[in-house]
Amino acid sequence: MRALGPGFVAATLLAAVGFLVVPWLILAAPLEPVMGFVQKIFYFHVPCAIMLFLSTFACAAGSIAYLFKGSERGDWLAAAAGELGVVFGACVLVSGPLWGRKAWGVYWQWDARLTSSLLLFLILIGYMLARRYGGPGGRKLSAALALFAAVDVPLVYKSVDIWRTVHPQTTVVPKLDPRMRPAFWSAFFLMTLVWSVLLALRYRLEAARAEVATLKLDTEDLLEAGS
Amino acid sequence: MKTIHLMRRALAALRGLVTRRGLATLATLATLATLILSPALAFAQEFVKVEGKVADEVPAGPFVAIAYGFIWIAILSYVVYIARGVGRVRGELEEVRRKLDAAGKR
Repeated sequence: MRALGPGFVAATLLAAVGFLVVPWLILAAPLEPVMGFVQKIFYFHVPCAIMLFLSTFACAAGSIAYLFKGSERGDWLAAAAGELGVVFGACVLVSGPLWGRKAWGVYWQWDARLTSSLLLFLILIGYMLARRYGGPGGRKLSAALALFAAVDVPLVYKSVDIWRTVHPQTTVVPKLDPRMRPAFWSAFFLMTLVWSVLLALRYRLEAARAEVATLKLDTEDLLEAGS
Repeated sequence: MKTIHLMRRALAALRGLVTRRGLATLATLATLATLILSPALAFAQEFVKVEGKVADEVPAGPFVAIAYGFIWIAILSYVVYIARGVGRVRGELEEVRRKLDAAGKR
């Protein structure tokens, strides 16, 4: 438990550094000629979406390990990543419509990218609900849901290429203006660091919970045997 | 004579319309016409030429600020959530220690 201390300090420091440095880089980046200042949302919206995808894949990988090998560690990883998926999914689904309101004139369009992203978010919410309230079989049920979430990720990513949509294409990042790249990649690097630290902290917490639950049962057995 | 005959026919037709069925048909047709024509009526406005560049009606600053603020609040809230979880686990460990102390097993 003592090992969690530096992790919290690191997470807080990273968030503080990110809050100060990255917005400065983003403000220094040139304005996009068509959308103007609102395009600045892109620099955190896209990294948040990538973290959503990473979380979903990590959740699915842990769930596969738990479902097919009975790995408790896989289950802890899945629990941690699933929650992070919800956090970053909420960030994507709030920042995106705010950008859309200015760029498209509306907060929401039921197009392929937005709808499939919402579906992914809802599956991850379902994962958390099944895990918490699913009863004895809840962990297995949630693990199965995580696999459905992972299947939705390629659909979300390719949706802008497959269907006609108002959302920008996947070529936006590779074709990014060189003067905009430092702001984007620094935001992406920061978000990846924050994600990694949060995942490690949450994983350790889940492991500690499991250890304490076992310890409590052992203590009760010991006390009963002694009385 | 011909005019009188036509008027009688028109009155007969009107009497037919005044029946319950006729009124229902008229009401349906009027509703349909209103529904079909209302968008056209809404768009049938005058377009006025504006000189020079029109300023943005929706300022971008608040949208960017809200988006960034939400992202950082969400991440910091999650850190707080983890910290509270750690606190609960520590509390449970203390409870186990107290039980063991009370039983003199340590």
